[in-house]
Amino acid sequence: MQYQSQSVAKLYFVAAIGLFVGQILFGLILGLQYVIGDFLFPAIPFNVARMVHTNLLIVWLLFGFMGAAYYLVPEEAERELFSPGLAKLLFWVFLIAGALTVLGYLLVPYSSLADLTGNDLLPTMGREFLEQPTITKLGIVVVALGFLFNIGMTILSGRKTVVNLVLLIGLVGLAVLFLFSFYNPDNLVNDKYYWWWVVHLWVEGVWELILGSILAFVLIKTTGVDREVIEKWLYVIIAMTLITGIVGTGHHYYWIGTPEYWQWWGSVFSAMEPIPFFMMTVFAFNMVNRRRRNHPNQAAVLWALGTAVMAFLGAGVWGFLHTLAPVNYYTHGSQITAAHGHMAFYGAYVMVVLTIISYAMPMMRGRQAANSNRSQVLEMWSFWLMTVSIVFITLFLTGAGILQVYLQRFSENPMPFMMVQEKISLFYWLREIAGLVFLVGLVLYVASFFVGSKDPEVAVEQAASPTA
Amino acid sequence: MRQLNPLERQGEALRYPPGDLAVWIFILAELSVFAIFFAAYAFTRMQHVALFDQYQATLDRTSALYNTLALITASYFVVRAVAAIRENRAAQSRNWLWAGVGMGLLFLVIKGAEYAHHFAEGVRLSTNTFYMFYLSLTFFHFMHVILGIIVLAVLAVRTGQGHYDAASHTDIESGASYWHMVDLVWLILFPLVYVMH
Amino acid sequence: MSQAFTKAMARNIFYGGSLFFLLLFLALTFDTQSMLPDRDNRQAITEKVAMGKRLWEKNDCIGCHTLLGEGAYFAPELGNAYKRLGGKAGIIGFIKSRPKEGIPGRRSMPQFNFTDEELDAIAEFLKYASEIKTARNWPPNIQG
Repeated sequence: MQYQSQSVAKLYFVAAIGLFVGQILFGLILGLQYVIGDFLFPAIPFNVARMVHTNLLIVWLLFGFMGAAYYLVPEEAERELFSPGLAKLLFWVFLIAGALTVLGYLLVPYSSLADLTGNDLLPTMGREFLEQPTITKLGIVVVALGFLFNIGMTILSGRKTVVNLVLLIGLVGLAVLFLFSFYNPDNLVNDKYYWWWVVHLWVEGVWELILGSILAFVLIKTTGVDREVIEKWLYVIIAMTLITGIVGTGHHYYWIGTPEYWQWWGSVFSAMEPIPFFMMTVFAFNMVNRRRRNHPNQAAVLWALGTAVMAFLGAGVWGFLHTLAPVNYYTHGSQITAAHGHMAFYGAYVMVVLTIISYAMPMMRGRQAANSNRSQVLEMWSFWLMTVSIVFITLFLTGAGILQVYLQRFSENPMPFMMVQEKISLFYWLREIAGLVFLVGLVLYVASFFVGSKDPEVAVEQAASPTA
Repeated sequence: MRQLNPLERQGEALRYPPGDLAVWIFILAELSVFAIFFAAYAFTRMQHVALFDQYQATLDRTSALYNTLALITASYFVVRAVAAIRENRAAQSRNWLWAGVGMGLLFLVIKGAEYAHHFAEGVRLSTNTFYMFYLSLTFFHFMHVILGIIVLAVLAVRTGQGHYDAASHTDIESGASYWHMVDLVWLILFPLVYVMH
Repeated sequence: MSQAFTKAMARNIFYGGSLFFLLLFLALTFDTQSMLPDRDNRQAITEKVAMGKRLWEKNDCIGCHTLLGEGAYFAPELGNAYKRLGGKAGIIGFIKSRPKEGIPGRRSMPQFNFTDEELDAIAEFLKYASEIKTARNWPPNIQG
């Protein structure tokens, strides 16, 4: 850690990990409700648990992105953060707003929450992933503006690196696109059309810029490869992201009342969306193979490589599986979508946040560069447990999805939804077991912060070669 | 994967950082979008031959022919521009580039008139499958021409300012390559969409 | 193409390419907007339908169901519920009859205690949604 103000990131990372645990616990509740339908009913109905699961995910990833920005921006800009005080203040505002919102979901019926928060004045609630009360959404905008001001002032008055610039573009895009969450017309087709400008253009657009810049930063630091090389790759990757991803939005416009031509535009461009992810994989392995030093924090390098591979598998391969219109006609809105969602979010965004946490945390906790050997070994165990179980969750959901599509939509005598759900319940049980293994991995991950904290740090000479 | 080998490239590593793999993936991607669209067009046409033939007859083949000539001429001018800068004749190179821009603009004018005609008749993307492909393909290419013109214009200005000479003119070569790609795509598009029965 | 692929070139591809495809996307959006009046059943959007959509949102129905394939995958698709359940009466009857304490061991929709007016609004909203002209008449069949 080169600048004192970088340490505000620690708050954000701790909160992110805490909310991550909450997200997984609610994920397990959801998984159980899939097979034991009345579990916790009517206290926590499925829709409430799902809201908590997805909203916690989004919020903790945002905490992770903000923490990443607070950590890497000063180091890249070679100056202290514009205002560490503002960063701390916004942290508490965001955390309290987020906590109140989640408590609101859990403690009162959703419709009462809507009444309480004056949803009728500007109705924005009740749409997938954008369930937050309007006032929370406004809070998010305020926090985002304050955050961008703080980061922007730091970047613009310091050394302007590509990593910082790309990160800033991504974060500004994130904030600007979020404004479409306030547009909620009565016309269902237009509602859906612009809802995707938040959801798709986030995860298959500007978030990838954030992902790319965080990954590039960690690779610069851990491999010692020339910054010029890494920055050039970064530009090409994010160029491909937006070139394919913007018109790729069309893969959401096949069946929602929009014109037929989207089937062509959407299929062609979203079929290319795996390219930037593939390039990211090539890039990450290429840089690590050409490393000029063995960084002692091997756990961070493992997370970085894992991000590249899993993002390609989850977002690239599993996205491509069902993105072509003739396939999507059958798979749209089935468990196939859920399978893709789980691996893509974990592979791309969960893992990149864990990468930067893994890299930055040891230094913010007073180490030179890395944790002790015991801590790193435990963290790597958690890496493998979580990653392997998300692969299995994805495989089981894919199995469930294929059967569902066949029984409900493709076979001679299509069966009703609920009947099909019972027939595929074995896959849901297997998914739940994989989810439990994921939880074990997560517990080990948290434990890795407390294990071996008095042991000596891994020294550079000791570090094993990551690819040997 | 030659460029992945650091030993092989040590000498030029500073001036030409490896990354060519990246740009080739990019160019391949650009071409494959067109290739997929062309394949989709051919495939769909096989299923609706009568419809495609009927509406193909409404296209203005004469304009398209002029446009083909305009693009080929522009490509020729661009070739001359590259040749000129290789011999250190920057002023001539600049003039050839501007001539290329002019031919590109001519293409836009002619194509624009065609579009105006179609739109006046109420033709839209959703009118029928043929027009969907015709408008999608040509408009996608149209935008590439606009981008190509911008690239050529920037190069012309910079050539005029003396940024390039015989020793250093990779930007011009790259821009020229891009323009040739745009031209090449049209040379496939024109017979496929306008002529072939 | 020469060997020299510089960072500046990569940057230009990023800015140029992004702007290029953003414009293309906006052009397609413009065309879509001009086509929607014939497809999105907007003439059917009455006060009642709008009220139904608010209720749909206020009770987070999308947290379990899909509507035109978007939402959660815990409960059936509702884009064609109007047809599958046999019209408004079928929809209203189903929502009204949900047991308060659920069904032992099984998934069950909560009892929302809607008024008759609210039930009618929700049914009107689902009727409107079922009459949106989706490509290839998605969903593929009556089971959704």
